Amino acid sequence: MSQLIQVEIAGNSSPAPNIYVLELFAPTLAANAKPGQFLHIRCAEGTDPLLRRPVSIHAVNRGTGSVRIMFQVVGQGTEMLARRQDGLLDVIGPLGRGFTWGQGHPSHTNTGSAAVDGSTTNPGGIIVVGGGIGAAPLFFLLQELAVTSAAPRVKVLLGARSADQLLTVELAATLGFKVQIATDDGSAGFHGLVTDLLAEELRQKTAHVYACGPAPMLKAVCTLLGQAKVPGEVSLEERMACGVGACLSCVCRVREPGGEENYQRACVDGPVFSAAEVVW
Amino acid sequence: MNTTVNLGGIMMKNPVTTASGTFGFGFEYQPYVDLQRLGAITVKGTTPAPRAGNSTPRIAETPAGMLNAIGLQNPGVDRVALEIMPKLAELGVPVIINIAGDTVDDYALVARKLDGVTGVAGLEINISCPNVKKGGIQFGSEPRSAAEVTRAVKAATGLPVIVKLSPNVTDIAAMAEAVAEAGADALSMINTLVGMVIDIDRKKPLLANITGGLSGPAIRPVAVRSVWQVYRAVKLPILGMGGIMNARDALEFILAGATAVAVGTANFVNPRATIEVIEGIEDYMRQNGFDNIDQLVGLAHK
Repeated sequence: MSQLIQVEIAGNSSPAPNIYVLELFAPTLAANAKPGQFLHIRCAEGTDPLLRRPVSIHAVNRGTGSVRIMFQVVGQGTEMLARRQDGLLDVIGPLGRGFTWGQGHPSHTNTGSAAVDGSTTNPGGIIVVGGGIGAAPLFFLLQELAVTSAAPRVKVLLGARSADQLLTVELAATLGFKVQIATDDGSAGFHGLVTDLLAEELRQKTAHVYACGPAPMLKAVCTLLGQAKVPGEVSLEERMACGVGACLSCVCRVREPGGEENYQRACVDGPVFSAAEVVW
Repeated sequence: MNTTVNLGGIMMKNPVTTASGTFGFGFEYQPYVDLQRLGAITVKGTTPAPRAGNSTPRIAETPAGMLNAIGLQNPGVDRVALEIMPKLAELGVPVIINIAGDTVDDYALVARKLDGVTGVAGLEINISCPNVKKGGIQFGSEPRSAAEVTRAVKAATGLPVIVKLSPNVTDIAAMAEAVAEAGADALSMINTLVGMVIDIDRKKPLLANITGGLSGPAIRPVAVRSVWQVYRAVKLPILGMGGIMNARDALEFILAGATAVAVGTANFVNPRATIEVIEGIEDYMRQNGFDNIDQLVGLAHK
């Protein structure tokens, strides 16, 4: 269950220009958090900026009680957050429904758990695709996947505008995963989009795809998965106020199994949605 | 110490409720708030049929505030009455349901369907929503139509009826007088102020709805002034709201003439804001030697 708590800031580092990682000492969050979930963080003490900022959980160490968040500075709130070195941080979390790792979402396609437990013969690959800051929550997912029997089947595809903006490449490699990279300007890896790499990978038998990144990338991922008839999940973003399902600000258009379209809340019904249900 | 208030027939054990649309149906905040400590829970605007609401982006942050244009997304009155109220009623806290519609008949229909539903302590007529094309503010910007909606709802229900007033009018006291004469049991104020933000990168309005309702501490002085004026104009109890973040803010409204207060946008920032307001009002009463909350209501006028 999510809590409103004050957690200690244990460190602040910047792995790339404009990207920050805050390490939080938060044993209860570490114990409860699932990949794809987020923290809703109060950045200012006063009323400007007023609202909290949702930031995805980047890494968890249950042994030490450490939770890391990774974010890009995009405005006043994240700028204030990036300056924090120590003291207490006011957070609500863990929030949202994460990736279906280990257990399925009740109303989502349940293929995630089947993909991960590896119970079928030749179950196919598991592809994790990240674009830009979208790599942040995927690293936590990789931490969890690394200790399952499915780990050898996991392929990691990471993209960014240029080499200096690639995130978590070394981290993913330290977990033993093979990482393919793509950059828009060709400064590292494949010269092109990470979704081009995904299209190539989908030629091989694939059980499941997990994706997080900018909206155009996720839209392309959903299209590719639809064509390849491969199940997958995407983590969406929308302007959020309450973070707990009350205000109906962060809604995303979703197609129900019956074909009917409606709005679902990114904060509690997501932020992870089945690729097949998202209406772009 | 007595903090009990009577808001036009709605008995509240303390003067603090939630502002419609900022607290969902209450359960969303259950992990953070002991809901049974609230004086009342005011839930999301409810219409005859389910509504999908507006396209996104639905919100924009502004200095010490925010704009919203949700567009009355709600599951419709039947689900509220049959599925949500039975669970909410178990809390034993008075529930105020905000009601809205496109036509006068819509308001009356929703009111009739909620009459006698267990747990519903009162209705708040939303004639001030700035984010829907029909209904809402169109009834709340003109005294005669506001009175017409009020009369229709009063005729459709035996429940106490609160009319929520818009600040987007020339003379809020005239609106208050019109709905008081039409039979309102209480008034709530203020709804949001119409505002707008332009995204200079896209060179377009930021909100999909173009305009939205401004809430948060930025609007508090306007809200306090509205309560002050209406308190002088009519005898009805007032539910004051608009940017209340803490007990000090709430006390401004009470001293200006509000019998009760609603915490809205603050819930998004601090989920425990309602409880902190309740405790802070009690501390203030203790420190200032008041044993009954009634002694504070409108005290700034004396």
